[in-house]
Amino acid sequence: MMGRTIFIDPGRCIGCQACVSACRECDSHRGKSLIHLDYTDEGHSVASLPTVCMHCEDPVAPCAEVCPADAILVTADGVVQEADTTRCIGCANCVNACPFGVPKIDLQAKLQLKCNLCYDRTAYGLAPMCATVCPTGALFYGTVDELRAERPGVEVADTFVFGESEVRTGVAMVVPAERVQWPVPGGLPVVEVNGKDVRR
Amino acid sequence: MTEPPEAPAATEQPDPGARTELPEGKGPERPSRVSSLVARTVEALPRSVNGRAVLAGVVVSALLVLAIVFGSRLLRDYDSALIPYAVASVFLAFGVAYRYTVWVSAPGARRLFTNGWRSFFSADNFRRAPTALPKMAATYLGFQKFLGARSHARWAAHQLIFWGCVLAALITFPLTWGWFTFTSGTGSGPGYEMRLWGVKILGFDSLSFVGWVMFHGLDLAAVLVIPGAAYFLWRRMKDRGAMTGQRFAYDMVPLLALIIISVTGLLLTFSSIFLHGGGYEFLAILHMVSVVFTLIYIPFGKFFHIVQRPAAVGMQLFKYTSRQGDEVFTCRRCEEPIDTGAYVENLRGTMRDLELGFDRWAEYCPRCKRVLRGNAYLSQVKKGFQ
Repeated sequence: MMGRTIFIDPGRCIGCQACVSACRECDSHRGKSLIHLDYTDEGHSVASLPTVCMHCEDPVAPCAEVCPADAILVTADGVVQEADTTRCIGCANCVNACPFGVPKIDLQAKLQLKCNLCYDRTAYGLAPMCATVCPTGALFYGTVDELRAERPGVEVADTFVFGESEVRTGVAMVVPAERVQWPVPGGLPVVEVNGKDVRR
Repeated sequence: MTEPPEAPAATEQPDPGARTELPEGKGPERPSRVSSLVARTVEALPRSVNGRAVLAGVVVSALLVLAIVFGSRLLRDYDSALIPYAVASVFLAFGVAYRYTVWVSAPGARRLFTNGWRSFFSADNFRRAPTALPKMAATYLGFQKFLGARSHARWAAHQLIFWGCVLAALITFPLTWGWFTFTSGTGSGPGYEMRLWGVKILGFDSLSFVGWVMFHGLDLAAVLVIPGAAYFLWRRMKDRGAMTGQRFAYDMVPLLALIIISVTGLLLTFSSIFLHGGGYEFLAILHMVSVVFTLIYIPFGKFFHIVQRPAAVGMQLFKYTSRQGDEVFTCRRCEEPIDTGAYVENLRGTMRDLELGFDRWAEYCPRCKRVLRGNAYLSQVKKGFQ
């Protein structure tokens, strides 16, 4: 971290699904949208969260580590590629190990599918499809300096905490200035299940 | 950007080997006399992965050398013109055994490998679903149905390459090891006998259709392989999805190797039929060099999937047999099915082996993970997403 990458600002997301449609147009996985757009507080607010692959750096790509077929390649630029079609056996280890819930699986094709940061575009300096079309800048592609030039004083965080474990990622999130000293909560420990408080 | 605070001091971690939160009665099996023998054998092996891999490579290649010597009846049936092929196959055996050992030593592969074989050897599983394994092997390895779900054209092209290579391997390896011999029972023919390890298994008339097929088996294999490999080569140059991130040595070399081997092989037949053997020696050397380099390349590149794929049947069998027991594990939040209980436990074990401290997260479906992270961001980072 951190060259040109995606910066996610859920505070700007209006849930318009433009990123979902644009992702489908990406040449490297035509017809299949690999970005996730979740309405996290459904029924209570319009809050929405776009999720692309976070390209974990430390530990390096848990999806690749748990892969029994060595199918997930991490390129020298830190991009965690989608599974190699020749090797992927469709076991779904990556799908269920990813702490961010990113990879998808096609069980018929026995193939994992996941965001590869639009490698066909970013390898040539172009922004990924999702960031290109996002009308509000909830998905921004560039360097921190470029982000700050547009949004003075903005802070970003690239470390997430899951229980007692921290994961440092290649993709970052925009956070309030006072939060930047701390890792972003990843959702673990779970505090409620189906509306019930499960903290003990 | 600031550095995160230092990671907390070593906290109490669950025992990496421990199984957690499985339905009752699904605990590990008691060690039997056989498993303690296996454990003692494993203890006697070299400790480092590299040491074990070298040992496996040496043992497998030594066994192949013995198989060549004894299979060719102490080299009596051995055709010395084929020595380079046989030597390359010994290197291939070493490389495959080495890489295979390294591969199955990684936590993810090791656990699925073990569970796959456990499912295979389970008499209980066999009683419940005796046809599961042959069916999986046929649909998964033979007809590769999963490739049809990816693309019909790729499936068709891969089937051509697959059956062409299977045919070529079935002919070439026994031939270069001196296992197959062809002898004429009547002097110059046309009656021919095909012998395996010196034992006659087939008699045929060399001028009949069967004889033609027998002597042109490798030509037929080349005719199958060339269109398949050519399609994939064309795709690698035209399809923008396939071109994304492709590497010459990994993606192109195998296709070029298949085409070169097939074309030079066909040219040998062309030379003998139409050129009265003109250029045969040069073509024979070109063909031999391309085959030898390809055999040596197999363990280190894309072709290694030929060795890896069959192991995936073990994973399928493991999943299938544990599903038979109705042990579907559902997401702790939304109760959507994730996978079988045994699979989730296997994955959690893998994550613990790798010291990924969030294995508990595997009990939530991907969507719930995202929603819970979004909720945490909403409540703890940016209230109201403002």
